Amino acid sequence: MNAVQTFKLTKQFDGLVAVNGIDLEIKKGELFSFLGPNGAGKTTTIRMLCCLLKPTKGTASILGYDVVKTPFAVKRLIGVSPQDTILSERLNCWENLALIGKVHGLSSDKVKERSKELLETMGLVERAKDQVRKFSGGMKRRLSIAMALVSDPQVLFLDEPTLGLDPQARRAIWEYLAELKGKKTILLTTHYMEEADSLSDRIGIIDEGRVVALGTAQELKTNLFGMRNMVVSTESLTAEVIADLHGKYSRVAVTKGQLKISHKDLDFKEIVDYLHSRGVAVYSAALEQSTLEDVFIQITGKKLRD
Amino acid sequence: MKFWEIGKRNLKEISRNPVLLGFLLGMPVAFMLVFCAAAGGGQAGPIALSIVDEDHSQTSTVFIQYIGSVEAIELNEPIYSQESQAQEDLENGRLSFYLLIPSGFGEATQTQQSINLELVHKGADPMIGLQLKPVIEAVGSEFLGVAPPLNVELKGMESEIKNPAVNFYFPGIAVFGLMILISTAAEIIAGDREKGFLARMFTTPARPWDFILGYSLPFIPVLIVSTVLYFGVGMALGLTVVGNLGHAFLIFFLIGFCAIGIGMIVGSLVKSESQAGVSWLFIVPMAMISGAWFTVERMPSALKSIAGALPFIHAIDASRTVINGAPFSAIMLDIYWLIGWAVVLFAAGIMLFRRTMVS
Repeated sequence: MNAVQTFKLTKQFDGLVAVNGIDLEIKKGELFSFLGPNGAGKTTTIRMLCCLLKPTKGTASILGYDVVKTPFAVKRLIGVSPQDTILSERLNCWENLALIGKVHGLSSDKVKERSKELLETMGLVERAKDQVRKFSGGMKRRLSIAMALVSDPQVLFLDEPTLGLDPQARRAIWEYLAELKGKKTILLTTHYMEEADSLSDRIGIIDEGRVVALGTAQELKTNLFGMRNMVVSTESLTAEVIADLHGKYSRVAVTKGQLKISHKDLDFKEIVDYLHSRGVAVYSAALEQSTLEDVFIQITGKKLRD
Repeated sequence: MKFWEIGKRNLKEISRNPVLLGFLLGMPVAFMLVFCAAAGGGQAGPIALSIVDEDHSQTSTVFIQYIGSVEAIELNEPIYSQESQAQEDLENGRLSFYLLIPSGFGEATQTQQSINLELVHKGADPMIGLQLKPVIEAVGSEFLGVAPPLNVELKGMESEIKNPAVNFYFPGIAVFGLMILISTAAEIIAGDREKGFLARMFTTPARPWDFILGYSLPFIPVLIVSTVLYFGVGMALGLTVVGNLGHAFLIFFLIGFCAIGIGMIVGSLVKSESQAGVSWLFIVPMAMISGAWFTVERMPSALKSIAGALPFIHAIDASRTVINGAPFSAIMLDIYWLIGWAVVLFAAGIMLFRRTMVS
């Protein structure tokens, strides 16, 4: 049985299709990332899976329980960290964790044990007795993730879990999530390519309510598109040359003396010769493997923050 | 016991928010101080009363002397023998009101016939007459031993009232104070809804009634503390509780519960920035037409019907009656009405939460 399965899951808001017939299967213990720009349908999909939104068409199941027909059975199995850090501001860390844990039916002892463990993992022990309204954004987000985990859920939904965190805190959370791989089923949404790339078993690229690409990070970067990149250190690029390159290749980007060209079956020599022929000075040139960002832009035609 | 956990959280959120708590408890107390002080407060002097004695009998003379002996009343001299003289003085502004003892009063007391005493006041100033009415009724009952034309349930008790103005204002201000719970409950729910806290809680296995109980139970300590505080301030200002204090508490508890129910409904439907406006749009007119601040005896019948359908006027009337000495039987219907409203409001609240949980 799949941990998460959707069946033509669709959501419309006043005629606007936010999620458009998504069919998805996430296996038990899998860490699956949804990658997509703002408004792509990531959060709407998660809200339907968490029983907060009723699908317009189709349905989904969590460990065999239908999200529409048996929402309370689903809610017993899931832990959710929403995109906005939502906490009870005048409660301290212990009290916030106890609230969620006990509403999930955990005993006081179990809640205490789980809370202690999570506060240590998230580096919140020293401030655990302070009201959370005094916390920084990063601390609040760490507590929010701990709240999603306190009930020891079988399926975890993390909506942009590391958004706004400093690199150190982000890395700590990645390490913790990596430890959970195989033990919990995790569905996370993210803007961060590195996060999706390093953590995920599989990635689903979502755009305009549809899953437009699905696979492991490696599959997406290599097999699926066969895209190659060439990075050239250069100067004296003219607008005419850039326009010419745009006409020939899938993607051309120029930033501070660096020219990046992406294309299927890219010919290194052909490009260098062309640049020389147009009087462009080439200081260095190298071929690079595609990144997830390249894949994403290739598929959606958008940058992630569009 | 999911509701208990939600309730504990909400109680902490309220008790750790000094601004909210101060508003909730402080505003009604400030209101009571202003109203009762304006009405004379604890140091209020006796009310000056003019009397028209059309009976001219020995009984009526003794009755007038008896009224004069009551602490809350000071008799004006002279005693009118004709109503027309008193009427003229009333029209000319020399009097605010007078008590008419009709001819046949003495005979009626001996034959135990119906007696009608009239407290005549200026139309524009009904308040003082209304304050005096229960005192006269009680003094009359005491003097006569029975009270054929008077409220028998008040027999011999109203004379204990030290300051009728405070006894008149107290129930209205206390109920108004509890109406503030509408705004507070609405603010907490609307805030949690908009910040997404409720949505987060909706991903847990808690059911709609867990939320309703979890959001209403924390207000019970607030309700009890408020009511005790109101009675304390009221008594310090001269409130006399002649009837059963427990009955008065029950009425305040029920109306407070209704206010929480209304607040939950407002909070479930309205955005937090507009909840204060919506709540107060409801609270102030309701307080007015329910007689929280002044008598509504002369209110148009259409408004009276609206007020009568809502719970607040029942709470104000019933608490006023019970504080002035009426037995429980006199307020039974009002109690049923308040219980009915509480049930309807909480059922509506659960339905709304059920709807809000999945959009």
